[in-house]
Amino acid sequence: MAAAMKAGLGRLGLRVRWQTASVLRPAGAAPACLVVPVRTKKRFSVPEWARELSPEEKEKRLKSSGAVFPDQRIERTFYLACTADIIDPYVPPEGDARLTSLSKDGLKQKMEKLKQTAASQLALRKVKDHDPDFSTKTFPEKAQEIFIEAHNCLANFNKQKLHSLVTERCYPEMVRGNRYKTIRWSFVESLEPPRVVHVRCDSIMNRGNLYGQVTVRMHTRQILAIYDRFGRLMYGGEQVPKDVLEYVVFERYLVNPYGTWRMHGKIVPEWAPPKDPIVKTVMIPGPTLDPSQEYEETK
Amino acid sequence: MAARWAVSAGSAWVRGLLGWVRPERWLASGSLFPLSCIHTSTSLQKLGKWEKKNRIVYPPQLPGEPRRPAEIYHCRRDIKYSKDKMWYLAKLIKGMSIDQALAQLEFNDKKGAKVIKEVLLEAQEMAVRNHNVEFKSNLHIAESTTGRGRYVKRIRYHGKGMFGIMKIVRCHYFVKLVEGPPPPPEPRRTGFDQAKEYVQQLRSRTLVNTL
Repeated sequence: MAAAMKAGLGRLGLRVRWQTASVLRPAGAAPACLVVPVRTKKRFSVPEWARELSPEEKEKRLKSSGAVFPDQRIERTFYLACTADIIDPYVPPEGDARLTSLSKDGLKQKMEKLKQTAASQLALRKVKDHDPDFSTKTFPEKAQEIFIEAHNCLANFNKQKLHSLVTERCYPEMVRGNRYKTIRWSFVESLEPPRVVHVRCDSIMNRGNLYGQVTVRMHTRQILAIYDRFGRLMYGGEQVPKDVLEYVVFERYLVNPYGTWRMHGKIVPEWAPPKDPIVKTVMIPGPTLDPSQEYEETK
Repeated sequence: MAARWAVSAGSAWVRGLLGWVRPERWLASGSLFPLSCIHTSTSLQKLGKWEKKNRIVYPPQLPGEPRRPAEIYHCRRDIKYSKDKMWYLAKLIKGMSIDQALAQLEFNDKKGAKVIKEVLLEAQEMAVRNHNVEFKSNLHIAESTTGRGRYVKRIRYHGKGMFGIMKIVRCHYFVKLVEGPPPPPEPRRTGFDQAKEYVQQLRSRTLVNTL
């Protein structure tokens, strides 16, 4: 049998040294030398008979050989950490914070509770499913803390911390144009306790990819002063506190167990009082004139 | 058994040997490797010192301090013009207000005048948009200089097989605009001033190393 084995190996051209069985090296042991078959360089030339085949024939041959080719799809994965906009924005009632609580309308507004809107209740239930610690009583306090922290980071240009407190949609809105400016912001006090007014829950791209948005109404007093590159006051003042009524939207990626509530945007109602003008005079370009025309003629 | 192991290895090797012959494998999808790293942002060229001067931020001024005038730095690199010829134009507009400088350059016949005018208009636009300058005419030119750009050597063919090596000359132009009216020019030093200084020197002489 050994002789036949040897003949067979010789035909295949293997160079295996056959060890004689001895006491020190029993026959069952592996051979002493490791053989690496040496072969010629692989040349990727297609033989004549293969070139004439049509694509269907090629497919058939591929399938018959049973080879599996992995899909080479050029994929760049992206991760949506926040939605692009405020879902179903809250419409603040007219004259909010203008009416005193003594008048009838004022009382009605005060008594307006979150429980009245059904959609908010549904969304609130969904949010509580994913985040059992969420409660409309404790959340506004945390929201205000996040708000204050985010604005302090903006004033100190602490970008890392700001990214963790503010979503990617809100970040450029806050930061644009501020690179070479100095911002001084401070929170004086809160005139009314913040409260949750609106809750919405939505999924984007796939079903079940839930993002929750909560709108918190804040009536606060703040100080803002913006200085330009040369240290000159551009806007606001350091000794001038302003009363501000804001509807701030916070968002969280509910399906992510490590998601946090972050500031997503602000809702500015149409009836809001206009902001103070900036200190600088800005030129608005007039109509382009022909050399023959005068400006007074065009008026 | 060692024999069986050798045979099985051998047959596997044989299969592998004939396996590469299959042509369909090579005619698979055209893409060679998955692009897992796609750089979507371009890297800017290295910024020069003059461009970086626009990035300094001063601390906010206290209410009692005089208002700091705005300074805007602008430059253009690698202008196809000689730095010595450009210097004449730079010296012309140094110390003028921006309107006067633009007027002078518009009616100047040199090639560099057109380039400098564009640079000044760009700088004015930048000042109003980005650097909080209120009035675009309220600027004057504090510094205006030229610098040598990157030269390139080429062959200039002459007759009789002679050649010369010519330099293709480029220059940079730097300008600094400051907010406010231009400073008044220094009065010329007259003979009377020189005489006064001389008399002052004579009067301030003392005797040294004496009682």
